Amino acid sequence: MHKFRTILTAAFAVGALLGCQKKENTLKIGLAGVQTGPDGEIGTAPIRGSQLAIDEWNAKGGVLGLQIEAVSRDDEGKANQAVAVAQELVAAGVKAVIGHFNSGCSLPASEVYHQAGIVQITPASTNPQVTERGFNQTFRLCGRDDQQGDVSAKFAFDSLELSKVAVIHNKTAYGQGIAEVFRKTFEAKGGNVSLFDGLASEEMDFRATISAIQKSGAQAVFFGGMYNQGGPFYNQLRQAGFKGAFLGGDGIYDGELIKTVGAKADSVFITFGPDFMATESAKPFLAAYKAKFGQDAGGYAIYGYDAANILLEAIQKAGTTDADKVSQTLRSQSWKGLTGDAEFDAKGDLKKANYVIWTIREGAFAVR
Amino acid sequence: MQTPPNPDSGALLFSQMLEILINGLARGSVYALVALGYTMVYGILGMINFAHGEIFMIGMFAAVFALGAMGSAGLVAVGITLPLAILLAMALSAGFGVMNERIAYRKLRGAHLLAPLTSAIGMSIVLQNFVMLSVTKGKVDFPRAVAQPLANTTWSLGPVQLTALQAVIFATTFALMCGLFWLVQRTRLGIALRAVAQDRTMASLCGMKVDRLIAFAFALGSALAAAAGAMVAMYQGVLRFDSGYMIGLKAFTAAILGGIGNIPGAVLGGLIIGLTEDLTSYTIKSEWKQTTAFAILILVLWLRPRGLLGERVADKV
Repeated sequence: MHKFRTILTAAFAVGALLGCQKKENTLKIGLAGVQTGPDGEIGTAPIRGSQLAIDEWNAKGGVLGLQIEAVSRDDEGKANQAVAVAQELVAAGVKAVIGHFNSGCSLPASEVYHQAGIVQITPASTNPQVTERGFNQTFRLCGRDDQQGDVSAKFAFDSLELSKVAVIHNKTAYGQGIAEVFRKTFEAKGGNVSLFDGLASEEMDFRATISAIQKSGAQAVFFGGMYNQGGPFYNQLRQAGFKGAFLGGDGIYDGELIKTVGAKADSVFITFGPDFMATESAKPFLAAYKAKFGQDAGGYAIYGYDAANILLEAIQKAGTTDADKVSQTLRSQSWKGLTGDAEFDAKGDLKKANYVIWTIREGAFAVR
Repeated sequence: MQTPPNPDSGALLFSQMLEILINGLARGSVYALVALGYTMVYGILGMINFAHGEIFMIGMFAAVFALGAMGSAGLVAVGITLPLAILLAMALSAGFGVMNERIAYRKLRGAHLLAPLTSAIGMSIVLQNFVMLSVTKGKVDFPRAVAQPLANTTWSLGPVQLTALQAVIFATTFALMCGLFWLVQRTRLGIALRAVAQDRTMASLCGMKVDRLIAFAFALGSALAAAAGAMVAMYQGVLRFDSGYMIGLKAFTAAILGGIGNIPGAVLGGLIIGLTEDLTSYTIKSEWKQTTAFAILILVLWLRPRGLLGERVADKV
């Protein structure tokens, strides 16, 4: 029996080694992000979007005469896993990475890519620090929390005319980051943050916090966190008789939120990019996505699609996969995508990030 | 817009404190139900069942799917469907509990202590991934048609508002705990369980079917966890394959706090942790609730290393 097992193990090992012996005539692009766990649903969308773009390029003959091979990795939304994934991708010889999704993952992973000299474009990590560390080859195709929290705070103060808001976050780089920016802007405008508190991102019973919110006399709640908590939080607020507005960032922008809060949810205000899905140019992408994955593309899929297209175009234009040259090319011009014209500044941020306020109308997200 | 309550008014503060107590007790009684499973397995085997949180999670899913199935079959009276769903969840989880014992414990009964511990952790990962891959990796919503009317029905008991949702939790928990105490203290089966807990070899020499009794303890603990799972699913409104992790950890802590192996201790520990968390969230900040709960645990363990009620070894099951 033992001999048999040893032979079997050896056979597997040899098989695995042989598997690695494949000839390197492809260009490998890493697709990294959360695909399982709490944010699995929302995080898979941009990876699929990138995959779609890569398929289209391959059908057209690839880039630099090479077929593109997507190497997809799941970081489970965890920082340590993100580092492991980044090291795996580097070892696999990827020339560029699209990802990660969560800011808490992009931050440590980008250190690895930076050291290995690999271009990274994140389609969704909005924490300011992602591009604030002087990494030449780190880019993002989305806004920043300081822009997002800022837009939300101004909207709360100016349009909703609120003066007292409770700010609750999920203790992550993203959630706490956006919550702190909201507080700063809201207080600078003369508003009062009556409660600033954090709950672990697994917590689903908000009742004690809600009592504290009510005690603080808040007129509305800003939530820095993800949709999986945002939904029950909203429901429990309403169950407790709290009728004020519920504000949040792009983390709660997901169809699953509406499934939890119901089509009749009122006074939910979310910052997110403009409505690209309704544009004429996005239609072929949406149809292709649905055909390939059997699901409607969530709001994030289009960012993954654009990130891949822009990256490949830049590689094509630079004529090389050298990270410095590609980075230079990325900064040198404006790139056309379904999410509008993208122009990167010296840090790697979009020059123009345009957050708008969304709300829930007739069971769907709609620009307010 | 809401009119902000005046925090200085004493009466209002009093009624809010009562509300917090109710919330904390609801949370704590759920911890207690789950903690009972940890404590029973520990009492009888001297081991921690790390897959217990997953059994709880399976109970959550089973209850929701049972409700969904009954809903689509036309059964909508909450008074019938909810108890039925809880019972079904308890039965299914009991089955999983027995399976867990068979796979992760029975084979390793004579092995080193670390072997079943590790296999239970493995079981936990397997079950979590099984649900994630076979059911969904996303969240599942508890049927609003069931939870909403219960959440919106409130009774006033003097200055306190009690929702039907909380009433269901209190009633179910209380009934199950009474049932368990009765079973353990007053029945032949309970005597047999306690005998196995005290001395397994002697019990088997007296003709007791030790393996069966151990499996029964697993089934019992798992059924209680499933009932807790069904209620948490209803209370929170959403569930996911990893929903058992946090509650499992808290309940485990509760069992230690109360004195692991001791049944009233598990209940006491659960209530203390639930109340501490909610009182901290309300009076200090939610950010601190983990810290205070565990600070209390450490303090208690300093003063009473075997937990609050941990000394009465004779009672352990």
